[in-house]
Amino acid sequence: MTTTIKPYTNAIRATLTASCCLINFASQLVERHNKPEVESKQNKELVLNPVIISRNEKEKVLIESSINSIRISVAVKQADDVEQILCKKFMRFLSQRAENFIILRRKPIKGYDISFLVTNQHTETFLKHKLVDFIVYFMEEIDKEISEMKLTLNARARIAAQEYIKQFV
Amino acid sequence: LHPPYSSPGHSAAMSIANLRLADSITCHAWNNNCSEVAICPNNNQVQIFKRNGTQFDPEPLHILDEHDQVVSGIDWAPKTNRLLTSAHDRNAYVWRFEQNVWKPTLVILRINRAATHCKWSPNENKFAVASGAKVVSVCYFEVDNDWWVSKHIKKHKSTVLKVDWHPNNILLATASSDFKARVFSGFIKGVDERPGETPFGSRLPFGELLAEYPSNGWVHSVKWAPSGMQLAFCSHDSTVSFVDVSGGAPGQLQSVKFNGLPVVDILWLNEDALVGIGFDNNPLLFSRNGGTWSFTKRLDEAKKEAAAAGANRAAFNMFKAKVEVGAESNVTNLNTLHQNLPNCLKSMNPGASVREFSSSGLDGIVSVWKN
Repeated sequence: MTTTIKPYTNAIRATLTASCCLINFASQLVERHNKPEVESKQNKELVLNPVIISRNEKEKVLIESSINSIRISVAVKQADDVEQILCKKFMRFLSQRAENFIILRRKPIKGYDISFLVTNQHTETFLKHKLVDFIVYFMEEIDKEISEMKLTLNARARIAAQEYIKQFV
Repeated sequence: LHPPYSSPGHSAAMSIANLRLADSITCHAWNNNCSEVAICPNNNQVQIFKRNGTQFDPEPLHILDEHDQVVSGIDWAPKTNRLLTSAHDRNAYVWRFEQNVWKPTLVILRINRAATHCKWSPNENKFAVASGAKVVSVCYFEVDNDWWVSKHIKKHKSTVLKVDWHPNNILLATASSDFKARVFSGFIKGVDERPGETPFGSRLPFGELLAEYPSNGWVHSVKWAPSGMQLAFCSHDSTVSFVDVSGGAPGQLQSVKFNGLPVVDILWLNEDALVGIGFDNNPLLFSRNGGTWSFTKRLDEAKKEAAAAGANRAAFNMFKAKVEVGAESNVTNLNTLHQNLPNCLKSMNPGASVREFSSSGLDGIVSVWKN
């Protein structure tokens, strides 16, 4: 019996809205460059303290913010081995198509399953509240998708096994 | 190029004119009679548009195309009609309007990182450029060599985000991402006369750090009050701080914490009122009552009728979103005038009391607000 997801997603939504206040900031270290400061982490004063919002020890969200970029890493609930494999494959599928997702990061941060990188360029072209909506929606849907996939997997396995056994009966 | 439109059915309590001049605007500046506005449409150009009352011409009058990277600061000197632009390509240009064309003159800033902001001094014989090299370049015109020469103010530990000149043409306030707002002397021998008594003393060698004010967040902007007796700065921790130096430096600091997202630019309306804009997309009014500053109200109140009309749009958008996204979706448009971060505030009638001011933002809208 899981607790409702609402307080969890509300906390994430509030933290994201506050952390997603990004401005264009040219690099202090390399001339003419503009890097996401949360990725390079070279300037301590430009990076904010990371925040972890966790529902339980398995499900959590790490939000690291800086002056021009924010990195959001999600640890998805994986109850057993099957879900672990499904989650890994699903996340890999998405990460490899990170170009199309625009705000997705190709590799998740260590300890998490998937990471987003939002920079000031994204907040300039997209509406911030829709970005936050998207990330929260993504998290809500991931759980559903994986459960669905597991059910389909079990159903297919059962049908395949039935058919196989029939020849011996 | 997007056709200009004015915000649909929006009755900002005070916005008298607004137009979407580009996809995204980094900064803007008005000429002395506010008939023309220079904007940077988030690229390396500066475009000048003509304004007729509440309308703007859809096509730019002039396009100034000298920078290589995004133009971070524009300032238009009212008396001498010169434009100053600074960009992330470490350069600044002073533009003169001759024979119906804007001609640039490169300024040797001697910085090796991006320029973040620039400002003419009140007498327009000097200007200051803030940079990511943790340095402020104060430039003056050297008549012998016929070019602009720069002197550096160091002492910052991180990028300088904004600068503002005191009305006496000598003191300079800076806002930096090292969590501090500072006041320096920008006195240049040969260009300035002796300052006389200021709240920070009368002996002001160039580059001397006169005061330092701490904050708990990156200081996004700093502005002197019209009298020069107060200083205000806004930081990323959702505070706007006020310093009263009328009794002498460093003065009393009052920090006003407000309920909302951080403010990135501020403007003094008069000695007792200040407006700030930031990530809430809504201008916030702060005022002083009997010596204490506090947050008063948000200036952008959406009209009830707009909400009703918006309800139809909401239903339409909901079904449209269901088709596209496959989920319930609320209205995409925010109910404030600005749809994305407004990051530049400029006064349109400088003086002791500002009646009209303008804001420009990353949503490409330039809006004129009447007090």
